[in-house]
Amino acid sequence: MYQQKQFFKKTRGGKILKVHREHYLRDDIVCGSLACTTCAHGDSTVLSSEAAQYLLIDTNVALHQMDLLENAAIADVIVPEVVLSEVQARNKAIHGRLRLLVADKSRRFFVFSNEHHKDTFVKTEKGEIVNDRNDRAIRRATTWYQSHLAGKTPDVLLLTNDADNARRARDEGAAAQTVYAYVQSRTDKPELLDFVARTGDTGGEAAGPSAEGDAGPQAKRRMLYAEHKGMAELTAGLQKGLFHQGKLRVNRFNCFEAYVGSQSVGKEILIQGREDLNRAVDGDVVAVELLPPEQWKGPEGGIFREHDEEEEGVAENAEEGAGLAPEIAEDAPGAALENLDIGKEGGRVPTGRVVGIIKRNWRNYAGSLEPMKGPGGSGAMAHPLFVSVDRRVPKIRIQTRQLANLADKRIIVAIDKWDRTSRYPEGHYIKTLGDIGDRATESELLLMENDINTRPFSQAVLNCLPPLPWSVSDADVAKPWRADLRNLRVCSVDPIGCRDIDDALHCTALPNGNFEIGVHIADVTNFVHPETPLDLEAADRGTSVYLVERRIDMLPKPLTEDICSLRADVDRLAFSVIWEMTPSADIVKSHYTKSIIRSSAALSYPEAQARMDDPHMSDPLTEDLRNLNRLAKIMRQRRTERGALTLASPEVKFEIDTETHNPLDVGMYQIREANQMIEEYMLLANVSVAEKILKHFPSCSLLRRHPVPTPQMFEPLLRTAAAVGIELDVGSSKALADSLDRAQGSDPYFNKLIRILATRCMTQAVYFCSGELSPPEYHHYGLASPLYTHFTSPIRRYADVVVHRLLAAALNLTPLPERTRDKKSMHDLSDGLNYRHRNAQMAGRASVELHTLIFFKDRAVDAEARIVKVRSNGFIVFVPKYGIEGPVYLTKKPDKGAGPDPNDDFVVDEEHQTITSKDKRQTYKVLDTVTVHIEVQEPQPHRPKLILTLASDSKEQDGFA
Amino acid sequence: MPGLSAAELSFLEGGIAQDLRNDGRGREDFRSFSIQLDVISQASGSARVRLGATDILASIKAELGSPPAEFPHLGRLELAVEISPTAGPEFEGRGGEELSAELGKALERSFAGGANGTGAAVDLAALSVVEGKTCWVLYADVLVLNADGNILDASAIGIKAALSNTRIPKVEVLAGEGDEEGELELNDDPDECARVSTAAVPLIVTLTKVGRHYIADATGDEEAQMSSALSVAVNEKGQLCGVTKRGSAGIDPSVISDMLSVARRIGKRLLAKVDAEISLAESRLESET
Amino acid sequence: MEYVSPEGLRLDGRRPKEVRQLKCELAVLHRADGSAYLEMGNTKVLATVYGPHEVSQRSQSLHDRALVHCEYSMATFSTGERRRRPKGDRRSVELSLVIRQSMEAAILTHLLPRTQIDIYVQVLQADGGTRAACINAATLALADAGVPMRDLVASCAAGYLNGTPLLDLNYVEDSAGGPDLTVALLPKAEKVTLLQMDSKLPLDTFEAVLGLAMDGCKAIAAHMRQALLEHTRKQAVVRGPVRL
Repeated sequence: MYQQKQFFKKTRGGKILKVHREHYLRDDIVCGSLACTTCAHGDSTVLSSEAAQYLLIDTNVALHQMDLLENAAIADVIVPEVVLSEVQARNKAIHGRLRLLVADKSRRFFVFSNEHHKDTFVKTEKGEIVNDRNDRAIRRATTWYQSHLAGKTPDVLLLTNDADNARRARDEGAAAQTVYAYVQSRTDKPELLDFVARTGDTGGEAAGPSAEGDAGPQAKRRMLYAEHKGMAELTAGLQKGLFHQGKLRVNRFNCFEAYVGSQSVGKEILIQGREDLNRAVDGDVVAVELLPPEQWKGPEGGIFREHDEEEEGVAENAEEGAGLAPEIAEDAPGAALENLDIGKEGGRVPTGRVVGIIKRNWRNYAGSLEPMKGPGGSGAMAHPLFVSVDRRVPKIRIQTRQLANLADKRIIVAIDKWDRTSRYPEGHYIKTLGDIGDRATESELLLMENDINTRPFSQAVLNCLPPLPWSVSDADVAKPWRADLRNLRVCSVDPIGCRDIDDALHCTALPNGNFEIGVHIADVTNFVHPETPLDLEAADRGTSVYLVERRIDMLPKPLTEDICSLRADVDRLAFSVIWEMTPSADIVKSHYTKSIIRSSAALSYPEAQARMDDPHMSDPLTEDLRNLNRLAKIMRQRRTERGALTLASPEVKFEIDTETHNPLDVGMYQIREANQMIEEYMLLANVSVAEKILKHFPSCSLLRRHPVPTPQMFEPLLRTAAAVGIELDVGSSKALADSLDRAQGSDPYFNKLIRILATRCMTQAVYFCSGELSPPEYHHYGLASPLYTHFTSPIRRYADVVVHRLLAAALNLTPLPERTRDKKSMHDLSDGLNYRHRNAQMAGRASVELHTLIFFKDRAVDAEARIVKVRSNGFIVFVPKYGIEGPVYLTKKPDKGAGPDPNDDFVVDEEHQTITSKDKRQTYKVLDTVTVHIEVQEPQPHRPKLILTLASDSKEQDGFA
Repeated sequence: MPGLSAAELSFLEGGIAQDLRNDGRGREDFRSFSIQLDVISQASGSARVRLGATDILASIKAELGSPPAEFPHLGRLELAVEISPTAGPEFEGRGGEELSAELGKALERSFAGGANGTGAAVDLAALSVVEGKTCWVLYADVLVLNADGNILDASAIGIKAALSNTRIPKVEVLAGEGDEEGELELNDDPDECARVSTAAVPLIVTLTKVGRHYIADATGDEEAQMSSALSVAVNEKGQLCGVTKRGSAGIDPSVISDMLSVARRIGKRLLAKVDAEISLAESRLESET
Repeated sequence: MEYVSPEGLRLDGRRPKEVRQLKCELAVLHRADGSAYLEMGNTKVLATVYGPHEVSQRSQSLHDRALVHCEYSMATFSTGERRRRPKGDRRSVELSLVIRQSMEAAILTHLLPRTQIDIYVQVLQADGGTRAACINAATLALADAGVPMRDLVASCAAGYLNGTPLLDLNYVEDSAGGPDLTVALLPKAEKVTLLQMDSKLPLDTFEAVLGLAMDGCKAIAAHMRQALLEHTRKQAVVRGPVRL
């Protein structure tokens, strides 16, 4: 009953330890079957007595066939303990999924502790390797189950793809089958076959397309890629500096060009071409070997065009379509990555090739199948290629029997493996989302791709809400630390139709000539308490997501639109920042308090602007607005002098048809004085709160910083500006702000355009924990402020909720929650919030892009556009009216197999950023105005693309795709 | 521990003179001893030796370290003796330090061999992993649990037994390039281990002079009366591996050569007995697992 | 890391409330007045008792009770990595003090004035729960020496990992960073003579873990009592008159 385990272990310090562990064997381990009469029945007894058979899986089946196992048709499965621990050691994600299956009682998965059961424990024999011993343990468990349940109905079937293991099992008297054979035998569920993952194991699966028809040996197929080096060799190489490790980032505009950020090399290493990429996928952690300097390349200057594939006659004539204009550097990674010193070294950068994969980061991909001619017969096996919506991911080959059903649908696929002999990775189908082009499906797709949680709030979360209808109670009023400010004239200004009002202001003239100004923020933390299900759910979601037609809330609607929302004419709880300000906007004193307010008016921006502008209106509220505006303007001026940047973004607003939810019109978002006024006070409140919490909690405050862009990031802007004769000083934010003010061009839009381009050089601002960085690093470049945080929108941002708690603790109102004190969890929290924030932004952009496509579907429009980048085969334009950006090709697309037409050539002048036709008749320069024709084309059915062409030439260009 | 009275003393000496010691042994007889192997499972090898009432634990721990600077192609063997306070109140705190240092030195002298590794108890060259960089270091520690005379001899037996029980894991040096060191890959299978050859490990025979005669394997009482003692290390081939004289009185040189040959003779007999005991202990160990 | 699997088994196959395998041997060293060898799983401890005897340092003699002296030492090979332990380092001194205090509570010192009792504990192999094993071994050695005690002192360690109170942690579970509570108990009187805990534990969980440790102590005490009875019986048979 007592065993000892002995093995040697090498510690990180290089020492070798002899490890000696106890291993107890028990006689009280149950088999988990309801049909069993000897073992005790309890909570874990899930295996049904009516099942036809019990399946016992081995390690490889668990690791590779997870999608099949998760299918509801598979139930009554025994997972031996040895399999579970091996899966845990090899793949944490799969282990998590297996644990979920076990926890779900309806699936009837049972973990059998075979390693500690006295009858099924197997001791390693002399000379036996670990894997063989584990296989023997699995077989032993199978035979034990058979004898244990002998006579009772269910048989036990061992599922393994290892032929040797299966044979030995049968010799020992156990029944064994490969996964494929078992799934085939399940005639009640033929669709299960689609879920079987393709692995390299033997097992009689249908062979891939290249060997279709003949089950020829693998050796016959050509090796298309180099071998990956083994882990030991990679580690040795990394230590020696032969290889470099980094995460692979594929260029969104050219999926055969990627960059690996390497600390050892200092700059990014370019990987170009299918072979050099060597089966690495975007997001994988790879080991790269540098090529000799003579072979270093420069990034391809052209706009990527997919080349024809030499495969089964499927011609690819796709071109890059237009999309939403990027706003910041992260939106256009290809662009940011390209701004390497093209002038230096003849345009070459460190180039390398992938020699091994250190960690695969495959995930589930959403997209659709490439159209192909289906095989004859409806149930026949087809091997289509799957194209993901994420352009950085390669095409995936799957096998399916329901090609007709999946042809025009958005589906989800996972990658199983990528052999050296196959051009594309192989994967399997997981599920269908809906029709392509259908707005609901596409919205769901973009939410999925951005990891946004759209599930309704669980009952546990809803139970945390106060009972409805809710109103401020006497108990709330009685609290001594809550100031009763209901006598103040408070109002709020928000976009039209806004129902989640989180901020309100008041402005009172004081007898001494100063003003008392207050910013009141919804007191969300009064209702969201730390570590409750509501809090944990909100922390996970991180932020509300704004799509064009809907909003996915961080908190349940009763809170966001009613209880916390500072609606007009009702008492509401708030967290207030109150300043005393001189008429020249100097702050004399400030204090913070929780409060009760009663807003007199919930205005919209146009309304507020109209009131301020109308000379006939002089009621007290309008006077307050005017005072606030005046002071705001002074503060804004002061900020600009300090170096705050006034940047521009091509924000576009859709007018949505209330019934069909289709876009009726799209236009640029108007920024009025009222917008700027509110912005000013929100900034002031955020800065004030940041100072206060940092003073009290210097090591665990949640702040927001904006890193200074590196000189490299300004490259494209400087080049573009220089080409049109404008000099920009990027030495400091103030210098940049001043030179942007001076940049005037031929037309009024010019300055805005330059600002938009400048914004593209900026990085994303990020949340961080103050204890992790030194004070100089707290700086917010864009606002030219030494520190900043988010305080004013707790209804839609979780960071603000955390800051509210910090402020409440600073005021000694409530203790600081445990999690906020712990540096590590704050670090994880800020990483999580940054991730969610970024995803919400990308989802919002994707939604706008989707609606833009729908908008242009039945309309073709001509519009004015500005050239923002010049390329070797055309240029990229930005259309201000619609906020879209895309390529305009000047050269004709080369025919299949043929090279580019030499007569068609255009010459690019990098320094002056111009492109001229060979016959010198047409010249285009960056920032020029052109007219483009915008329309949606479907080069393949159900694959709409937004295409931009030069309007003046569009009549001639019939041959263009 | 109370000392012996004058009467007891003369009784002791008289008996020895007549080749009849207190416990009935002859002058050259060793007490019976028993060996138990693999008592400390965490050590690479271990043994427990009970020589009469003297009880010692010997453990060998193999760890990776750097070879001696002057001889980069060799491994290392480090010996240390510690006397546990369980042996008696006189050994508590720092009480046993002097004795353990003396014994440790004596062991080292007999086992370590010459400066360049020749004649060492174990094959030091076999312990080298990467010449000049890494080698196995065998730390041999002796813990005395109960002291009833002749600790040195018992320690030697213990170390020999522990070495026979020692398993050193196999380490592979992965291909390095040029003169760069490769990574070490550990073969963690406990069956794939190298064993240490104990053929050259000597045993120590301590001859204690009491009165005008010398006896082998003195008990605690006898040792308390010694004037001087000679510890001789003898190996399989009958060679002398180390000689240590202890005690304050002087020994006549002619007596020394006589003592050496006697030690050799006793040593040979002892070696055979020890080997037999070790194999007995091993078979007992096998049958248990 | 998972220290308790959802199936209710720990890393070595025990359930949370189970103590490791316990082995006791008495009278292992004949020179000492009392000795005991104790194994709790892979933790191996040897304890010896010398005394009661005359006080070695006259100045320290106590006129109304016995002087209890204890020394704890760890062999260099007892831990995974060999470590040269200087005599008198802080941990040894602290543990010596701890063991002394626990035993003093049990020994009827007033029956042996002006004498000294030496307890020496030697750890041969350490795999978690060393403190507890030392106290248990010392109890057995004292019993073997015939020193009058009002009760056996049984000791056990408990911890809290993965949301479950665990009894008798081994080295791996100990190094997990969770709380580690060592308790020494006089089982008949149910009086605690030693209570040490490191790390943090909320109050209600603390009570659960303490209760578990005390149950463990009682189980160990029963085992030790049994071992003592067995030993005594064997001695009686060997010595002759009692025929069983």
